[in-house]
Amino acid sequence: MHEMSIAASVLDAVRAEAARHAGTRASRIGLRIGELSRVEPESLRFCFEVLVSGSDLEPLALDLELVPRRNRCLDCGTLFTVVDYNFNCGACGGIRTEPAGGDEMELTYLELEEPDAGTA
Amino acid sequence: MRVPLEKKVLNENDRLAASLRERFRQLGILTVNLISAPGSGKTSLLERTLETFDPSRRVALLTGDIQTDNDARRLARFGFPTRQITTGGACHLDARMVERALEGWDLAAIDLLFLENVGNLVCPTSYDLGEEARVVLLSVTEGEDKPLKYPATFYHADLVILNKIDLLPYVPFRIELARENARRVQPAVEILEISCSTGEGLDRWRQWLEALRVAAAS
Repeated sequence: MHEMSIAASVLDAVRAEAARHAGTRASRIGLRIGELSRVEPESLRFCFEVLVSGSDLEPLALDLELVPRRNRCLDCGTLFTVVDYNFNCGACGGIRTEPAGGDEMELTYLELEEPDAGTA
Repeated sequence: MRVPLEKKVLNENDRLAASLRERFRQLGILTVNLISAPGSGKTSLLERTLETFDPSRRVALLTGDIQTDNDARRLARFGFPTRQITTGGACHLDARMVERALEGWDLAAIDLLFLENVGNLVCPTSYDLGEEARVVLLSVTEGEDKPLKYPATFYHADLVILNKIDLLPYVPFRIELARENARRVQPAVEILEISCSTGEGLDRWRQWLEALRVAAAS
């Protein structure tokens, strides 16, 4: 249910960033969502499309990158993906590991087009 | 042209919650957000907590429900400032509702604020209320696998409370398995076992609360 306000925040950020590059148009926004971020990706995609449709940003594309929960081994330093709540290190078998990602909700990049360039 | 951003997305609720948290911290208020499924014992835990408080305690409560002010009436009996937030359909509290409900209260006269969320294990976890501590309750009449079914809720808990342990002889709930499941989601999470009926374990809950309150006030 909060995906709509997240989508709105993403569009605000796109407008703010695009405004810093005069004469360009935002064409694609990269967003990284972690498994623990409490965001439902399909719902976010739907809200994003609803807000972009008919707006000044149309046809802005959303590039959603889903990242899993990761832990790091405190013994050997290996970074690994946590599957089925298995927090043990797959490399050395160590059981002392710490959270190392998976709650991301961040903008990764913005693709801008210069309308004058490349078109006849 | 591609511009790298690497920037956290904050939605409107996050922004509002951050400003509430800042206010609570400046005033030295410990704010506790209670989350659980309906009927796990949030209101009962608050009743058992308030009944031992001296009337001079600087505590206040906001309690959320979709309809009725039944919980506020249960809690107001103890004489502390209590307000019901009736969400009218929303399945969770959000920072805006908390901000509005606090209007007119002298926050300088409070050092402990309870936010009893709407009974729901899913949506409340996505809404930061500016709280200092988030407490998730699970009762032994539910399933031991709740932490695995609702991992985000248990992952973001500062304390997990297993309630109604007086019923353990009568239900198939395996409490060690529930603890293990909570720790699978969040390996270092603190877990308390209590019964609001018999009072068992409540002294440890009060100690946990008091330690946090002292830390928030300093």
